[in-house]
Amino acid sequence: MRSLIALAVTAAFTASFAQAQPKPPPAWHQGKGAKMADSKLAPHAGKMTETAASDIPVKNLKLPRGFKAELWASGLPGGRSMTASADGKKLYLGTRIIGRVYEVTDEGSKRTVRVVVDKLTQPSGVAVNKGSLYVFAIDKVLRYDNIASNPNAQPVDMTKAFDLPPEQHHNWKYIAFGPDGKLYVPFGAPCNICEPPTKEYAQIRRYNADGSGKEIIATGVRNTQGFDWHPKTRELWFSDHGRDWAGDNGPQDELNRLAKPGGNYGFPYCHANGIVDPDIKKADACKGVTRPVALMGPHAAAMGVKFYTGKMFPAEYQNTMFVVRKGSWNRTKPMGFDVVNVRVDGEGKASMKPFLTGFQQGAEGYNFWGRPAYVHQMADGSLLVSDEQVGAIYRISYSAPKVAVKK
Amino acid sequence: MRFLLRKGRWAFLLTALFSLPCFSQRIPACEACHGPGGNSTTALIPSIAGQPKLFMENQLVLFREGIRKSPVMNPQMQGIADREIQQLAEHFSKQAVKVVSAGSADPALMKKGSELAKKLRCGICHLSDFSGQKQMPRLAGQREEYLESEMRAYRANQRPETAMNAALYGVKDDEIRALAHFLSRSAPGPTSR
Repeated sequence: MRSLIALAVTAAFTASFAQAQPKPPPAWHQGKGAKMADSKLAPHAGKMTETAASDIPVKNLKLPRGFKAELWASGLPGGRSMTASADGKKLYLGTRIIGRVYEVTDEGSKRTVRVVVDKLTQPSGVAVNKGSLYVFAIDKVLRYDNIASNPNAQPVDMTKAFDLPPEQHHNWKYIAFGPDGKLYVPFGAPCNICEPPTKEYAQIRRYNADGSGKEIIATGVRNTQGFDWHPKTRELWFSDHGRDWAGDNGPQDELNRLAKPGGNYGFPYCHANGIVDPDIKKADACKGVTRPVALMGPHAAAMGVKFYTGKMFPAEYQNTMFVVRKGSWNRTKPMGFDVVNVRVDGEGKASMKPFLTGFQQGAEGYNFWGRPAYVHQMADGSLLVSDEQVGAIYRISYSAPKVAVKK
Repeated sequence: MRFLLRKGRWAFLLTALFSLPCFSQRIPACEACHGPGGNSTTALIPSIAGQPKLFMENQLVLFREGIRKSPVMNPQMQGIADREIQQLAEHFSKQAVKVVSAGSADPALMKKGSELAKKLRCGICHLSDFSGQKQMPRLAGQREEYLESEMRAYRANQRPETAMNAALYGVKDDEIRALAHFLSRSAPGPTSR
């Protein structure tokens, strides 16, 4: 038996070298200068097995007064972006490395989880439109019609219609349907910092639901992993990750506003509030570049962006944004690991306040137990927060604190 | 305990009884190839004794999901629950490392491998004694030909992308051979961390 297996391994080993074609090094490594050669910084390890509910320290989470966090669902290794069926009873989550899309069914007192599809290459983009679930992997687009009522729905392969470029890096996606009924899809820069190899990258596109009508609506976008539309102006707001290996303090992640299609957001020449790239240079690097509305912190990994329109939270939260910062790796001290609330005043000036914290202990070394990734607003106005590290979802609710009565 | 009074309690108890020893029943199957205590005596089959727990958990999930390709491990892992993967990883992470049949060291290859390990900064992630940590495997005392085959696979982008694809970009065949020779003969560090 053992020698048979050894034989099979040897055969696979030999076969694999016949087709060995060395490719350039992975993209996250690019731009790491000689000065940083000894840096111990590297992307954090994900966890791919289920974390038991009892091992998730929800009690460590901190919120403003009156808000409460509870564990809403678990057993979702790698779960990140969330989208719900029209009736809100089913929630779908995309993942990256583990290759799955989950369905969470809300049964009131508890939640059940099933895997809709697995073995895909980083199927992180999920969106529901008219009862159909869209799944975007790096190299595949699948559509599941009427999935909420037909759990065995077979997927329609939509890959051809969407013209996906081949590079993997930063092409794991967040996707969403806009108020115009179009499907918005980002195509990240396939590197940490580079001139993109072709014109298919570092941009946001929109399509009709069937993949026709492709339109590039923003360029110079390095890696957006979250966006939403302002409830009143209907403008698109999106997060964008700043480049790595340019120091602990920047360039910062961005929160951007797209007033009309066609904006250039600077990558690879100009970052954040007008920081010229030290490696990829051109004259007037920041000329014509749309500046961010807010800076989200260096290496903070600003992910999900959601405007709050629910009735549960106090009125001051109405139409403000929740932005999730999954947390840094390319920085000596931790940054992010929280959900912040962003408000923009009448003059367009943004301010940011911590909302959900407690995933990371201390400000010096990396000591985190969870990494928040996305937010989703429920029909009752409560907020779901996904945690990609422990594969869980927390529900944030609010009830007005009782006013102490003086006797 | 109230749930025990409900209908179907016997089914629950029976399931619990039969699922308890499951992970330990799988150990002989692992050891059939990976050797007693996870110290492999077979060419191209890695030693799994004393490997970091998270490293083994993640690799076993990748095998089960078919994301890391292996004609042997992909079918082996079918239907194995996360809980069992965690238990198996925990078990083998605690087994003592025994270097099996490393063969005699070639001084020139040892010197070249040691210098390359410094130059390529293997110790930054795999620790200075190459005993591994978190998602990064123990290299010290691993089988020589296995280390060589996996380094070549990383270089050819045939394993799921990690820092290793970059670390081995442009490293030549004779350099990979020297690294494997040196690392396989390095004294393994602590067996669990």
